Formats: sequence, structure tokens, C-alpha cells
Amino acid sequence: MQNFLDRRFTLVTGKGGVGKSTVTAILALLHAAAGRRTLVCELNALERVAPLLGHPPVGAKVTALERNLSAVNILPAQALEEYAQMKLRSRTVTHLVFDNPLVRRFVEFVPGMNDLLMFGKAFNHERERDEDGRPVWDSIIIDAPATGHGVSFFRLPKVIQDAVPAGNMHDEASEMWNLLRDARRTAIHLVALPEELPVQETIELHQRLRDELGLPLGFLVINMMPPPLLDAAQAAAFARLPAPDDPVLRPLWAAARIRLGREALAAGYEERLEKLGMPLVRLPTVYSPGYARAEIEALTRAFGAQAGAR
Amino acid sequence: MSLDLARLVRERRLIITAGAGGVGKTTTAAALAVMAASEGRRTAVLTIDPARRLANALGLEAFTEKGHHVDAATFRAAGLEPRAELFAIMLDTKSTADQMVQRFAPDEEAARRILANRYYQAFSTYLAGTQEYMAIERVVALVEEGGFDLVVLDTPPATHALDFIDAPERMLNALDNRAMNWLYRPAQGEPGFGTRLLGRGRKIITRSLDVFTGGPFFEDLATFLSAFSALFGAFKERSRRVRALLREPGTAFLVVAAPSPASVQDSIVFARKLGERELPFGTFVCNRVHRPIHGPEVDLATVADHLRAALGPDAPVDALAVSLAAGLADHNRMAARDAGAIERLADAAERMPAVVPLFPEDVHDLHGLRLIGEHLLAEHSP
Repeated sequence: MQNFLDRRFTLVTGKGGVGKSTVTAILALLHAAAGRRTLVCELNALERVAPLLGHPPVGAKVTALERNLSAVNILPAQALEEYAQMKLRSRTVTHLVFDNPLVRRFVEFVPGMNDLLMFGKAFNHERERDEDGRPVWDSIIIDAPATGHGVSFFRLPKVIQDAVPAGNMHDEASEMWNLLRDARRTAIHLVALPEELPVQETIELHQRLRDELGLPLGFLVINMMPPPLLDAAQAAAFARLPAPDDPVLRPLWAAARIRLGREALAAGYEERLEKLGMPLVRLPTVYSPGYARAEIEALTRAFGAQAGAR
Repeated sequence: MSLDLARLVRERRLIITAGAGGVGKTTTAAALAVMAASEGRRTAVLTIDPARRLANALGLEAFTEKGHHVDAATFRAAGLEPRAELFAIMLDTKSTADQMVQRFAPDEEAARRILANRYYQAFSTYLAGTQEYMAIERVVALVEEGGFDLVVLDTPPATHALDFIDAPERMLNALDNRAMNWLYRPAQGEPGFGTRLLGRGRKIITRSLDVFTGGPFFEDLATFLSAFSALFGAFKERSRRVRALLREPGTAFLVVAAPSPASVQDSIVFARKLGERELPFGTFVCNRVHRPIHGPEVDLATVADHLRAALGPDAPVDALAVSLAAGLADHNRMAARDAGAIERLADAAERMPAVVPLFPEDVHDLHGLRLIGEHLLAEHSP
């Protein structure tokens, strides 16, 4: 996975609550630092990425955050309107059609339509060219939906391609599917926590994305690995320390016991994830009140060092 | 205004744990079910997560769709007396669209037609809210006909928990095919829309939609959806009952949070959304809380002296003192963060959340669930 910064289309996925947005923010900083014009896409989300980087939420409009880095929160309704205008080439007709409440209601309930529209907008950013025909963006980074609904989101372009025999939608879906499967352009990074359910789900996700759909996977990021508190000699000494009545040692012992317990648990889960054979990046638990710019930058350095970023 | 968790477990018929992923919803649900059964309420816990560890904690091989009875010996081994039966059931949220078709289709032929449809096959995993809907159907059946005093339901993670709640309405909207009829089958459309003027508008719209998709995609889809809407009648009746059950005074939603700022924020938003939907919010649960560990203020040299006294002269006591002090400082920094989280939850709910501390191990037996249950039901004074 040496060349992950060369991929134009990066997706971050994993079980809910594992830190996808954190990893998205880290990848955004790495891509931007490599001199690539980078666009972060969140999909209909409670926006996380811009705030993590110390910026106000960006909303549904592409907004520059800092050097080489912009962000957008893609909303289905807006994606629909943009796409419709592009295809119908008329604002009036677009409004006539899509402001009709019955049409809206119908389109809204077409299964998968929202995901398709958001995916399609991210995809269009990948194709965006300036007047000289050069790509507007070098890297698109997508905070993809949680895996709660299986891999429906990733399968969607293929489903459309197969279900719709011909026409615009078929062609668009085919192009999306080709991009998604292209290992030279796309990388899908998985995020996991060293805990039971996230590990189980990651193993399943890996199997489905790689084996069933044949999609190009990138790193497996293990988030919140408790960093070792003691070295080997210290650990051996600590193991001989009986539960102390001593009021000086008692609190130190209690805190260390909780920490070492979590370390041992995490190591067991890490071992199961290692068996997947994906290149691993381990991000340490941050013992601070919250994740802000400083924490994200520290994690970005840790990520970059392990991932071989230039 | 939220309510005491001990009272909810004693009095309610349906308790639903909801919240973002990875916050301990399933464990919370299982622990509450154990406590309820040991207090004499015939209880079922329904989960969606296939957590083997948790199944094992209940003395089961795994959670299954069929459901298993947790035997009395398992309770006694944890020092509890099961005064009523406890069942653990896994809700299979996969492949349920087929079940729904079979269940609600007016006859076998109609069911076959839908199941064989190319669009149905392509989109069945995507049919808005189907999986959630079928899961919630199962819950209604259990609450109404299962003979349980209490059903504890563990929901899928956050954004999806709302899907879960909105599923009945959304399915009804999707199947209410007035929009499709008006667009593609004017003869059966709502009479009010049948004027010539609107007829012309319709033509522009359908033609535009064809340009939009590049083919008669919507029309084909409409044909399919109107076949699907044969399910409408039976479905409407059921979903009315689901809707009523979720809003009954016997139901309570617990919103489970981790103590991180992001999780607290999500949980408060979630509780607000429950309120908007007139769903009964019970209380917040905050899991994995670092409790502050207090001790005397001492310098590293003193710690090293005490370690030397306990471990002898050969141990690396100076280095160990530094590491242990760093560990305690890390812990107490997290404890301060978590105290802030509890305060925010308390402010939002106008009462203290139920708080479960961070343990050094995962829960692996009923004893562990009991421990969590006792924390959950303990009185929390503000």
C-alpha cells in the first residue's frame, strides 16, 4: 500500500463509532500535505471532518478549508437538483419536474436513490475538469456510510448497472462501478476498533468487499490501540506487586490494572485482525478530553510514519 | 423529563436501547434483561448484534433467530435467583424482504410475481426500511402475543436506529402509490389530478424523468412498485399497531452513550429526535466511564521508595514510578472528560444518567452482566 497517496478516489468505511471521520480527517491532511488538491466528502452527515480540523462546518457547498484542502457535506436533495440540471439542461424544467410534490415523494422512495445521488455527486467531483481540461481535484476522500446495512452502498453502482438495461443511468452506474473497482485510482480503507463487534464486523466486511465485490482495499486502520504503559522489565516487576494497601501505591496500581487489562484485550483483537493480511496502521488511544486539531495532527504523523507517506 | 431506570425495568413492557455504534447497547440490553428476570418478570431480550461473547455470557452457544431459554443454573452460578424465565433472541435483519412479501401478498401468485421481478431482486436489500420493519414486526408479535412481562430490544446503530423507528411510516409512504399512479397510470390516479391541464404537465414530467435516467427506468420501476403495493392493505393495518406500540406508555427508549464528546452530542440529538416523534424517552445510559482515582499528592521519589519497599532493590522502580504516574494521570484526565459528559447528559435529560464504569475486562459471564445491571439500576444522586 505504498502508493495510497496516488489514488484519486479514497473511501473510508467501518462499523459505526469506530472513528471513520477521524481517519478521513487524517487522510485529508496527508493527501493535502503531499501537494494534492484534496476534496473531503461527507455524505448527509452530522458533519465531523471540518470541525475535527478546527474549521466551522462547511455545509452543502464545496468550501476551501486550508491549503490544498476543501470539504463538502453532500445532501441527497441538492445532489438530485444538480444532477437533474446537468441532464435536463434547464433550470425551469428541473423545477417544474422536481418541485412537484408527487415526483419528489416518488423519487425519495426509490430504493437506494439517496445513496446513488450522493455517490454520483462525489463521482462527478472526480471527473471535474477546469478550462484547460485538467482535473480540478487530485484526491477525493469520502467518509462512507457505516457498514450497518452491509455493503449495499458499495454494491449500488453494480446493482443499477445490472437492473437498468440501458441509457444515462446505466452508463453512469457503469462508469462509477469501473472507478470503484480500479485499483490504480481507488482505495477503500477499513477502520476498526480492537473490540469484539467491530472486529467481527471488519472480518465480514473485508470478505464481502474483497472476495464478493472484488474491490481494491487499502489499509486496515486499528483505531484507539492503548499504547503500552510499561516496558517488559517494568511489567515483570508490576506483576509481582500485590494489591497494595499502601495509600501511595494503591491508586497507581488501580489505574495501571485497568490500563493493562485494556491493553491485553486490545492485543487479542489485534491478533485476529492481523490474520486478514491487510497492511495495518495502528492509531494510539489519545488520553485527552477530545479530538481537536492537535490530536489529529499527532495521529496524522503516526499514520504517515506507518503508511510510508512521503 | 426522564425516569429512573430501576422503575422502568420494573414497570414497562418494552424497553428499547438505542444509540450510536460501539457504545455498549447490546450489553446494556442483556444486563437489564438479566436484572428483570431475577426480579420476577418474564423477559425476552432481542438483539441484532451477533455478539458471541455476550451469548456465551448468558450460557448460550450463540444468539439465534429461534431464541433460547437462559437456564436457571447459569443464573445461580452468578449468585442470582431467576424468579422468572429469560429468553434471548437474535433478530435476523437479513433476507427479510422476502418474508415480508410472502407474508403480506394477497395470494401466492402475487408473491411469486414480486419475488421474480428483476427490480425486486436488484433492490430488495435496499427497499427503504424493510429490514428494520421486519425486525420491529417481530417485536410487536412478541410484546402482544409472547406472554412476556418485559421485552428488551437492542436496536441497530444510530442513524439506523432512526430508520428503525421511522420504518413503518416510510414503508407506508413508499407503498402509497398515488404518486406513481398519477405519473404512470393516470386511469387509476387520484381523481382530482385527472384534468387535462395536469395531464399535459404529467407528460412533460414523465418525459423529463426519462431524459434524466436515459430510459424508461422510472416507468419500469413504477410498474414494479405497483405490483409491490398489493401488499399495502395488510401492511397498513400492521404498521398502525407498530406505531401505536412504540408510543405506548408501557414503552421506554434508553439512549446509550459513550462518554466521548462526539457520542454525547449524538445521543442528545437522538433524544431530541425521539421527542419530535412523540416517542417516550426513558433515560440516558453512559457506559465505560472512567471513575476518578484519588490518592495523596506524592513525588516520584516517594513512589519509587514505596515500590522498592514492596518489590526489593532489583526492580526498575524509578522507571516504573514514572510509568505508573503517567498511567494514573491518563486515567484521571479521562475521568475529568467523562464527568463533563455525564454533566451534559444530566443537563439535557434533567436527571442523572445511569452510569456504568469502565472495567478492565470484557463481560464474559452472567456475573459480569449482573455487575453491570447493578450499576445501571443503582440510584444516582445528582
